Amino acid sequence: MIEQLTRLGYLLLILGAGGCSTQKDPVFHDQFFAFGTLIDITLYGAELPLAESVCKQIEQDFVNMHASWHAWQPGQLSSLNSQLSGAGAGTVEPSFLPLLDEANGLSLLSEGLFNPVLGNLIALWGFHDNALPVGTLPDSTAIRDLLVQAPSVNDIHIDGTLISSRNPTVAYDLGGFAKGYAIDRAIDRLRESGIHNAIVNAGGDLRAIGQHGERPWRIGIRHPRESSIIASIEISGDNSVFTSGDYERFFEVDGKRYHHIIDPRTGYPAINTTSVTVIHSNAATADAATTALFVAGPDEWLSIALKMGISYVMLIDNQGIIHMNPAMQSRIHLEPGINAEIRLSTPLQ
Amino acid sequence: MTRADRILILLVVCAMPFLYLHLWFGNGPATFVQILNGSSAPVTEPLQPDRMLRVAGALGESIIEVRNGRARFVRSPCTTKVCVQSGWLTSAGEFAACLPNRISLALVGQDPRFDAINF
Repeated sequence: MIEQLTRLGYLLLILGAGGCSTQKDPVFHDQFFAFGTLIDITLYGAELPLAESVCKQIEQDFVNMHASWHAWQPGQLSSLNSQLSGAGAGTVEPSFLPLLDEANGLSLLSEGLFNPVLGNLIALWGFHDNALPVGTLPDSTAIRDLLVQAPSVNDIHIDGTLISSRNPTVAYDLGGFAKGYAIDRAIDRLRESGIHNAIVNAGGDLRAIGQHGERPWRIGIRHPRESSIIASIEISGDNSVFTSGDYERFFEVDGKRYHHIIDPRTGYPAINTTSVTVIHSNAATADAATTALFVAGPDEWLSIALKMGISYVMLIDNQGIIHMNPAMQSRIHLEPGINAEIRLSTPLQ
Repeated sequence: MTRADRILILLVVCAMPFLYLHLWFGNGPATFVQILNGSSAPVTEPLQPDRMLRVAGALGESIIEVRNGRARFVRSPCTTKVCVQSGWLTSAGEFAACLPNRISLALVGQDPRFDAINF
């Protein structure tokens, strides 16, 4: 019997050896804080001095973008908002225009469900502060007054570097977009430096290019109500994976959760969705799309995804039902033990 | 071939799918907790022995408990306490952060199951 056990041990050792490696770890990690969250950069196969210097540049880029685009601290965006308030006009640096153009265009595609000029409403809810409100809700009359004014990107006119607004309540807040845009810029910088296998992860939203050596990048998607993983996907090439959830920034009043994703149609947090995950090549588009689809909810996400050109969507509604399109179902691997009802939509392509 | 050999081969054949999944996709146990404090270089601490770690962050001191190969925020000077409510981190790849205090924890192991976590 001992002989058989020894043979078994050798066989298991041989099988197990398939998972071992004696090579130097080719993965480089860097982490820093920006945009109020943790930025994590993973590079595969990059030479150490290059990896360190590029990540330092990216960190500086993130710090600069965050300072410039901050919705409520002094910077270029808050300066523009001051000039736009009362239906005014202001100039911005040329480098700022692509950001505004892209945000405005995505808002139009989403039929305003991603609305980057709702800054006053977001502030009313208390989300323009690092410390969230405790035990207080905004005045319902103030919310209604803002909704009547209906600030939208249609109120914005861009002429060269001159930005003007015909709506006194327009105020940019790029919270549902800037992080994605910054990730895209980071990927641009990596590629310009000759790095083609990387993940840039900003607080759980990420874009991955290339792959991890001989295998794809493996991405876990966290369960919206538990600390475990609900699903995973593999990426070889270029994909962004973004999730918006009601668990990210929220406060509770009388046991009810009020989260940061505000429905521009009601002025209140969107109530029918728990989380939305989108896969798309462009991180800024994925960022805006998760917000828009979260607001659209289980009844309208399909039509908005079609308009925004999104091909992979998984939406978990407030009943725990998983909605997804067939392409997403073929791409995503739900974890064993996930027994939620799955509702497949018609194809998005 | 003896009867024992046949049993042995059967056992190995049955074990192969499990071993394949475990070795290539399994979420191996965490062996370290990686602590990031502001823009400082991450500090990696072993998950043994049991102890309390005190980390001075942007707002004040966060207390991290390491026990039985797990880690968690016990106390932090933030108002929301989301970090404390995150509870125990038990497997490689799990992550918790006190963003106001600019401190994060991530469990790492020898063979993390995922390269990144989306949430």
